[in-house]
Amino acid sequence: MNIQIHSEGKSSEAVPKSAFETYETAWCPGCGDHAILTCLQRALTELGKDPHEVLMVAGIGQAAKIPQYISANSFCGLHGRALPAAIAAKIANESLTVVVSSGDGDSYGEGGNHFIHNIRRNVDITHFVHDNQIYGLTKGQASPTSQTGHVTGVQVDGNINIPLNPMLLALAMGAGFVARGFTGDPDQLVSLMKAAIMFRGYALLDILQPCVSFNKINTYADYKSRVEPLPEDYNSSDFALALKTVQIFGEKIPTGVLYSVEKPTFHAQQATLSSGVPLLKRSFKLSAVEKVMAEML
Amino acid sequence: MSNRVLMKGNEAIAEAAVKAGCRHYFGYPITPQTEIAHYLAKRMKDVDGVFLQAESEVAAINMVYGAAGAGARVLTSSSSPGISLKQEGFSYIAGAEIPSVVVNVMRCGPGLGGILPAQGDYFQCVKGGGHGDYKNLVLAASGVQELFSLTMEAFDLADKYRILVVILADGTIGQMMEPVIIPEDTDMKIFDKPWAASGKKGGNVHHTIKSIYIDPVVLEGLNNRLQSKYREIEANEVRVETSALEDAEIVITAFGTCARIAKNVIKEAAREGIKVGLIRPITLWPFPVEIISETARKDSVKAFLDIELNAGQMVEDVRLAVNGKKEVLFHGRTGGMIPSQEEILDIVRRIAGGGF
Ligand SMILES: Cc1ncc(C[n+]2csc(CCOP(=O)(O)OP(=O)(O)O)c2C)c(N)n1
Ligand code: SF4
Ligand SMILES: [Mg+2]
Repeated sequence: MNIQIHSEGKSSEAVPKSAFETYETAWCPGCGDHAILTCLQRALTELGKDPHEVLMVAGIGQAAKIPQYISANSFCGLHGRALPAAIAAKIANESLTVVVSSGDGDSYGEGGNHFIHNIRRNVDITHFVHDNQIYGLTKGQASPTSQTGHVTGVQVDGNINIPLNPMLLALAMGAGFVARGFTGDPDQLVSLMKAAIMFRGYALLDILQPCVSFNKINTYADYKSRVEPLPEDYNSSDFALALKTVQIFGEKIPTGVLYSVEKPTFHAQQATLSSGVPLLKRSFKLSAVEKVMAEML
Repeated sequence: MSNRVLMKGNEAIAEAAVKAGCRHYFGYPITPQTEIAHYLAKRMKDVDGVFLQAESEVAAINMVYGAAGAGARVLTSSSSPGISLKQEGFSYIAGAEIPSVVVNVMRCGPGLGGILPAQGDYFQCVKGGGHGDYKNLVLAASGVQELFSLTMEAFDLADKYRILVVILADGTIGQMMEPVIIPEDTDMKIFDKPWAASGKKGGNVHHTIKSIYIDPVVLEGLNNRLQSKYREIEANEVRVETSALEDAEIVITAFGTCARIAKNVIKEAAREGIKVGLIRPITLWPFPVEIISETARKDSVKAFLDIELNAGQMVEDVRLAVNGKKEVLFHGRTGGMIPSQEEILDIVRRIAGGGF
């Protein structure tokens, strides 16, 4: 099963040659992260991006290794701190396509506070969360999205916490783009990635990503039997509908763009950045600095 | 009655905490100390204790602050990057004088670095790391049995002085398996904690756990009190192991893993007719200043050689203690590299031959 999905993820070989190279990974065979990497490569290629235009940002974890595996600008941040670094890079150079790609523990646990506040900030970046509902790199402890009752080496009687619903939280915080994908459906995943990258503002794509080594509950088969793409006529600009839909996470898990409505971005509202010229590309006049210094001294 | 078992260093820490009466563990996963959490997750159930996985290290240290502030014996453990995050808690706990025990199984940095052993957090744990004038009592074991005893003692020291005690181990000590004698019945010291927000009836009901003092006179008073407590600890709690100092020409200073290597070097050097001694600080703070400065005054001693798994941290304290009386040489490895016995022996030979 795993092997099959894994090779499904490789279906990109049929696609025109990518400007993005991928490198040898240290992920387990059959891990959902392989499919995310190939889908990412496909999405960026199909969007006509060039490696120099893209900045991949991550924190720490299995998922967070992804910037090291693709030929783009990459930034390996602290555990949980990918978002502040990513939005600041976008502030310094808005011509970059900034994509955060990191784990559920990293994004929602250690980085939970940054998650909340960067939704509010609405900087135009993309956030892919490899949601395997577990801490993979540290060998299998409950993550914020682990389901109640999930037994691990440290949750010996099963997880007693209420799982975080990232889609609901993002909506509640005012996120403009909220989507969910699954590594077992690479074609849908590529189109969701493209939509998220194209969206102007903070875009969250939570990707169900089986961890074959440390999550024996949320397997490919488990997700495969539960995921259900949103109907064709689903209205992703209907907030009330989105609020209702994101709460479905049980026998069924809806996948697709759950909500998408653009709102003024941080750059559009910030006095200095609203001109649209990246800070890095602005001319630097020494005389202006001298004037300020003269005034201050 | 006692029980002899083979244990990993990390497990020894965990079991010792339980034996010391610790019933609260708050942590966040990080390699190479995860065994402490895995052990306690199961063990706390047997002893009616609580194991809680926090959402971050910052949360975990503040849970320590809360539970210890309520009067309980509490443990948290992490490794270098996680310990960096806990520093705000360290400073507040010092200010509020809350007895706490924190384990740091060091890995190599800076930044995320790697998961291999290192001793690069000496400065952070011994000199501060958080803001303000405060000290942690820092214990460094060089074997699993010692790790067990020191962890038990850490809880008593924390309660006695209302101070944060750091068990500073490196990955080698944490992963190492050695036999440990576990005492069956321990005569646990019970400390009265009238300062705690314990919910006890009678006495002062307004127990405020805090480190905020707006009045400079009051705050200086707190600082003075902290400093006199620190002087008392320096006077009473220094622990150090020495060996072959009587006629040593070269004195190695080292803690943890490096001290283990040094002991083999001393034996081998003796066979070659080079007299090497060892000073192994067990308390990194309070630092064994006296024995080092005494040794430095000896005519027989030619030089000191400090060995660490870092770029030179404890060596600064050794130099202060030697105070210019003898040359203090340093050899360190970083990045998870560990010096071999031969590597150090070679340096020792060169010092003995006058060519370092
Ligand atoms: C400050 C800090 N704390 C803890 C760790 C250890 N650590 C590394 S990755 C990780 C969690 C990984 O989980 P997740 O983000 O879900 O990624 P996954 O490995 O599952 O892809 C943890 C706790 C660390 N590197 N830094
Ligand atoms: S541990 Fe899990 S998440 Fe990490 S590479 Fe292996 S399968 Fe993937
Ligand atoms: Mg994960």
